[in-house]
Amino acid sequence: MTGESTAGREAWRRRVLSLAAAVGVAFVGLVGQLWYLQVLEGVKLQEMSEKNRIRVRPVAAPRGILFDRNGLALVDNRPAFTLSLIPRELEDRDTVLARLSVLLKIPMRELEESLERVPTDSFRPVRVRRGLTLEEVTKIEERKLELPGVVVEVEPQRVYPTSTFAAHLLGYVREVSDEQMKQGRYRRGDMIGQSGLERMLDEYLRGRDGGERVEVDALGRPVQVMRREEPDPGAQVITTVDRRIQEAAERAMTGRSGAVIVMDPRNGDILAMTSSPAFALDRLTGNLDRDEWLKVVKDPLTPLMNRALQSQYAPGSVFKVIVAAAGLQEGSLTPMDRTYCNGEFHLGQWTFKDWKEGGHGHVDTRSAIMQSCNIFFYQSGLKVGPAAIAHYAQAFGLGAPSGIDLGGEKPGLVPFLDGRRRADGRKWQAGDTVNMSIGQGQLLVTPMQVARMMSAVANGGILWRPRLVQRVERVDGTLAYSSSSKMTGRVDLSPVVWAFLRHALSGVVNEGGTGAAARIPGVEVAGKTGTAQSVAKSDSTKGQDHAWFASFAPVQDAEVVVVVFVERGGKGGQVAAPIARQIYQAIFLEKVAMVSLGGDG
Amino acid sequence: MLRVDRRLLNNVDWPLLGAAFAIIMLGILCLSSVGLGRGGSGLAWRQIMWVGVGVVALLGVVTFDYRSLVRAAPAFYLLGLSLLVTVFVLGRTVSGARRWIHVGPLTFQPSELFKLIFILALAWALTWRRASQQMPRGTIGGIVLLVAIPFVLVVRQPDLGTALVLLPVLGAVLVGVGVRLRILGALAAAGVALMPLAWLVLKPYQRDRLLVYLDPFRDPLGTAYNVIQAKIAIGSGQLLGKGISGATQSRLAFLPERHTDFIFAVFAEMWGFVGCLVLIVAYGVLVLRGFEIAVGTREARGRIIALGVTALFAAQTLINLGMVTGLLPVVGIPLPLMSYGGSSMVVSFMALGLLLSVRMRQFQ
Repeated sequence: MTGESTAGREAWRRRVLSLAAAVGVAFVGLVGQLWYLQVLEGVKLQEMSEKNRIRVRPVAAPRGILFDRNGLALVDNRPAFTLSLIPRELEDRDTVLARLSVLLKIPMRELEESLERVPTDSFRPVRVRRGLTLEEVTKIEERKLELPGVVVEVEPQRVYPTSTFAAHLLGYVREVSDEQMKQGRYRRGDMIGQSGLERMLDEYLRGRDGGERVEVDALGRPVQVMRREEPDPGAQVITTVDRRIQEAAERAMTGRSGAVIVMDPRNGDILAMTSSPAFALDRLTGNLDRDEWLKVVKDPLTPLMNRALQSQYAPGSVFKVIVAAAGLQEGSLTPMDRTYCNGEFHLGQWTFKDWKEGGHGHVDTRSAIMQSCNIFFYQSGLKVGPAAIAHYAQAFGLGAPSGIDLGGEKPGLVPFLDGRRRADGRKWQAGDTVNMSIGQGQLLVTPMQVARMMSAVANGGILWRPRLVQRVERVDGTLAYSSSSKMTGRVDLSPVVWAFLRHALSGVVNEGGTGAAARIPGVEVAGKTGTAQSVAKSDSTKGQDHAWFASFAPVQDAEVVVVVFVERGGKGGQVAAPIARQIYQAIFLEKVAMVSLGGDG
Repeated sequence: MLRVDRRLLNNVDWPLLGAAFAIIMLGILCLSSVGLGRGGSGLAWRQIMWVGVGVVALLGVVTFDYRSLVRAAPAFYLLGLSLLVTVFVLGRTVSGARRWIHVGPLTFQPSELFKLIFILALAWALTWRRASQQMPRGTIGGIVLLVAIPFVLVVRQPDLGTALVLLPVLGAVLVGVGVRLRILGALAAAGVALMPLAWLVLKPYQRDRLLVYLDPFRDPLGTAYNVIQAKIAIGSGQLLGKGISGATQSRLAFLPERHTDFIFAVFAEMWGFVGCLVLIVAYGVLVLRGFEIAVGTREARGRIIALGVTALFAAQTLINLGMVTGLLPVVGIPLPLMSYGGSSMVVSFMALGLLLSVRMRQFQ
C-alpha cells in the first residue's frame, strides 16, 4: 500500500482538491443567498415577521355544476357563510367557546369536539358550522372583538331546485367524515360527494381549492390580502337527464313509494330516474346532528335507498313478455294458440288462480298478454319450460347489474340458471315453473333492469348500458371525461316475434287491455302491467301488492321507455299505468296539445 | 484490538472535532430556545443524551481498524438491506412514511445507518481486486447495482432526502478514484434518463414538493408554507439576528419542522447573517478537514472512506441549507449535527469516527 507512485498520489490529490473546490463554491453560493435574504431583503422580511400576521387561508373551489341534456342546471352553487375557528388565535379558548356557544346556541361539546382533532397551534381554520344565517353572521361580526380566533368564511354551497329534486341521482354533498379522512385523499373540512353522481364524479366536481395569504392585525382581523391564488372550479357535468321529464316523474310519484325510470331505447340514455320517498339533499348537506341523521337512516320508508337500482322485487306479469318471447322464438308457443280460461288451473293437488275471478274466457296469445291472463301463461310456461324462460330472462338482462354509472346496483335473481335452481336449495318443481311464468316465485328484478328489458323490446333486441353522464367538461372547455352509448347485450328474436310483441303490448294500452289507463290520444303507447305479490297470501290485503307498468312509446320507432314501480301500490293497471300516463303527457307535450287542439277544431 | 496505540492518539484531528462540537453546541442552544414557553425544553436534554450516545459510538468506531470494517462490508451491506426491508414489514408509520423501527422504547431509522454502510461497501467494492488498477466494466455495473437497490428501497419508504444523499457520495468517490469523466458522464446521463421513471416511484406529496419548488404559490397552504415561512424567518434575522427572545417566527410556531429539518431557519433568525457565517465556517472547517484527511491518506480503502464521509457531510449540509434558504426543493434531509434526532446524531458521530479512524492510521 505504499507502493503507489508519486504521480498517482498527485493525481488523487488533484481530484480531491477539485471536489473540495466545488464544495467551496457551493458554500459561497449559500452565503450569497443568505446575504440576499438577510441583508438585501432583510428589512422587508423583517417587517413581514414583525407583523407576524400572515395567514394562509383556503379559498374553497366551487363544485362543478351538473346540467341536464338541454343545458338546464340540475344543481347550482351559492355563497354561504361558514363559521370557523383558528385554534392558534383562540387565546382564551374556554371563554371564547362559551360565548360562541351561547351566541349561536351551538352545544359547547360540539365546538370542543371539532377542535380536538387539530393541533392547538394550527393556523388552518377549522370549520365548525356551515350555512349560517345572515342574522347569525351579524351577531358574530358585532362581537368580533370578544371573539378572537372566530372567523366567518364565505364558501360556495350547493343549492337545489327543490330540496328533494333528483335526490338519489344527484346525491348529497357533505363534509368528509373521519372514516373517509383515513383514505388520505382529503383535507379536513373538505366537502365531498357522498352518494349518487356527486360521489361517482367527485374527483371531477371537487375542483382544487385556492389559497389566500392574508395579513391580519394583532387581533386576527384581516388587514389586506397579500396574494390570492384563485381556486380551480370543479368541472361541469352534462348528464343525460331531461330536467322537465325528471320533474314530471317526481310530480307523478308524489305521495307514493317506488321508482320511475325514463330511458331512451335508441341509446340507453336515462332521461329521468326517481326513487321515492326521497331524502332532503340540503338537510343532509348542512349541520345534521346525530339524532336527525339517525332519523333519516332509520326511517321505515328508507328514503336513502335508490329504489330504481337497489331494491329487488318480483316483476309480476311484466315478465310475461319474456315468457311469450321465449315461447314464440323457440316455437313452443304460436300466436294462434288458444285456451279457455275459467279462472283456475290445476297441477297435481295444487290449484293456481287467475287474478280475475271467473277467468277471461277464450284467449289467444295476444289477448292473453293484453288481459294479462295467468291461466294461459301457466300453461305456456310449462310448455316453454323453465330452462328456456330462464335463458331468455338472462338474455334480456335480468339477473345481472345493468352497468349504470352509479354505484350500489343490485343484480336481481333469475332462478333455474346454473347452480341456483332454487335459492332455498329445494328441488325445482313444476309449480315453480308455473309461478315463474307469471313473474312470481323467486324471480327478482330492479326497475332499472325492467327498463332495459323494455328498451330491448322497443328497439328490437339491443341492450344498452344505461348512461347517465354524457361528458364532463373542465372550465376551460376541455373534455375531462366522456362516455358514449354502449351496447352490452343483444336479444336475437325473429322480426316477426318482435312485431308481434309490440303489437300485443300496444293492445294492452290501446285496445282495452290492462294498461288502458295509460292511453293518451296522439301518442301510441305500448306497455305491460304487473302486480307483484309482496308477502304471503294470508297477509295479502288490498294495497299490499306492488304495482308495475313497463312501457314505451311510440310503438313504432320508440323514442322513450317509461317504467313505473309503486311499492305496495296495488294493481299495476290501476296505480302504475296512470302515473306513466302523466309522464308521457309531459314528454309528448306538443303532440298531446296538438291532438286536443285538433279535437277542438 | 481494544488496546489503543499511543501513536494513534497523537493523530487525533482536533480541529475536526472542535468544529463538530461547536456546531453541536449551537444546535442545542437552538433547540432549547425553540422549546421555550411551549413546555418542550426536553428536546435539548434529549439531544444532549443523544450526543452522549454518539460519543460512545464514535469511540467504538475509532477502536476498530477501518480496514477490518471494510472487510466486513458485504455482511454489513446485506444486514443494512434487510433492515431497510424490515422497515416495510415492522416499520412504524410517522406522517405517512415508514422509516422507523422500534427497538424497545426507542425508534431507529435504518436508512440513516445505511449511508455509512454504503460508504464501507463502496470502499470494499472498489478495492477488492486491487491488482487491476484500471476500472473493469463489471465493477462499475456492480456499483450501480450497489446503489440502485437501497436507493429504490429508501425512496419507497418514502425518504427521498436520504436516498438522494447517496448519489453525491457515489459521485464524489467515483471522481476521486479516477473513473474517467466519460464514464461518469454516461452514468449521469443514464440517471437523468431514468428520472421520468423515478417520477412514477414518487408519492404524490413528494411530487408536490418538487412542483412547489418550481412554483411556490402552487400550494400556498401546504409545502410552500414551510418555504415561505422559512424565508421570512431567515431574512428577518438580518445582519445581527434577533436573539433568543426576539425570534418570533420560530418561537410562535410559524415554522413547521423547526426542530428538525428547518432548524437552520431558527438559527438564522436568532443570530442573523453574522451568526450564519460563523456556523457556515464551522461546517466549512469540518468539510475541509475531511478533504485534507482524504488527501493525506495513502491507503486506498482509507481514502475512499475519508472522501465518502466528507462528501456525505458536505452533501447533507448543502442540500439542507439549500432547501431551507429556498435554493433547492424541500426533500427532507436533516442538518447533520444540528437537527434534532437520535439516529441522525449517532450516525453523524459514527461518520466522524470513521474519519478519525482513517486519520489516526494514516502513518501506520
